[in-house]
Amino acid sequence: MFDSEKQVTLTGTVKEFEWNNPHCWIQLLVPDPNDPSAPPVEWGVEMGAPIQLLRHGWKPSSVKPGDKITVVVNPLRDGRPGGQIVSAIGPDGKPIGAVPEANNKP
Amino acid sequence: MMAVLLLVGCVKLAQAQTSSQERVEACAKLPDWSGLWEWDVYVGEGVGQVLSPEGLRKAKAYAATMRPTFTPAWQPKYEQARKAMDDAVAANPGEPPVGRSPCAVAPFPATMMPGFYEWRVTPEEATLISSQGGVRHIYTDGRPHPQADELWPTTEGNSIGHWDGDTLVVDTVAIRNPSIVVIAEPFEPAFSTGPLSTELHTIERIRMVNHDEMQIQLTLEDPVALTKPIHMTITHERVRNFDRMEDTRDADCDAVTDRNPVVNGRFTTVVKPAPATPAQPSK
Repeated sequence: MFDSEKQVTLTGTVKEFEWNNPHCWIQLLVPDPNDPSAPPVEWGVEMGAPIQLLRHGWKPSSVKPGDKITVVVNPLRDGRPGGQIVSAIGPDGKPIGAVPEANNKP
Repeated sequence: MMAVLLLVGCVKLAQAQTSSQERVEACAKLPDWSGLWEWDVYVGEGVGQVLSPEGLRKAKAYAATMRPTFTPAWQPKYEQARKAMDDAVAANPGEPPVGRSPCAVAPFPATMMPGFYEWRVTPEEATLISSQGGVRHIYTDGRPHPQADELWPTTEGNSIGHWDGDTLVVDTVAIRNPSIVVIAEPFEPAFSTGPLSTELHTIERIRMVNHDEMQIQLTLEDPVALTKPIHMTITHERVRNFDRMEDTRDADCDAVTDRNPVVNGRFTTVVKPAPATPAQPSK
């Protein structure tokens, strides 16, 4: 489904942040860098369950519609505009969800 | 703190039921399994669902330990299930087959794999609560399994157990649609036992080997499906710096929020949800 060997960086505007079980999603409107006049492409960015995100510092309020963010995703192999999140940078330029390596061994 | 709460819970239950000093003492002798636990392949996983390199290595090692050999009578069922999986992969290599929705509770023994776990241990019962919706009631009060005419297959099966020192020995029967899937690639079921029969009988020896590791030695015996038992050892690690449990299969996990629906046996992805339908005015 997702190609873990590839990473795509997307910068766009949040359309929606779904904080739902079983998985959270960000719908991101991404402009075409080669044609700013073209309508943006809507990407679906899949994440883990809400409790998994909370563990890593995310909250339901971490992103909201209208926020300009950058995400790195493993893209879908079938070429549709979707991906599995790897990391995210918020409107303030800081990583969203300060990942404290929550459960890694010291 | 959790240990204190567990003991207080035990004492309150004792007061309510028997007020017996013996039972309070029995509670005090039980091991402290408080805290959150998770299968060690998920250690280091981020906010997505891609295993860490170390988690992937461990998953592959688990898969290597599971090599079932099927009885002649069961082999066609396995091959049929395997063919269905292979056909689904061939039809769309981008969407691996899973066979059940992420909103469905995994049947035991798969219960012991993804998600967070909490234990509640009392003299009468050890209860395992999974964040993925499964709850296992393991009766340790000396009762046997129910008589055949009061036993039917369920998702978690029927479990009885006893303590062998600090090891919980669990005997489970009557499991509905049992199977094990080890995820050895991100989202890719690299190995599966395939379907097993409802004659599956499992024995677990569960103990905390140190403060941060719970070891589960699992034996699967299935005289209908398997020519010999499968033995595997699963390690659950203590979840650090996080202590909140939530059920990820709760009521908001449904056909609307589940954007990985299983369609024709394949795990699919909805990248753009349909617009919400306006509520119809009541008549």
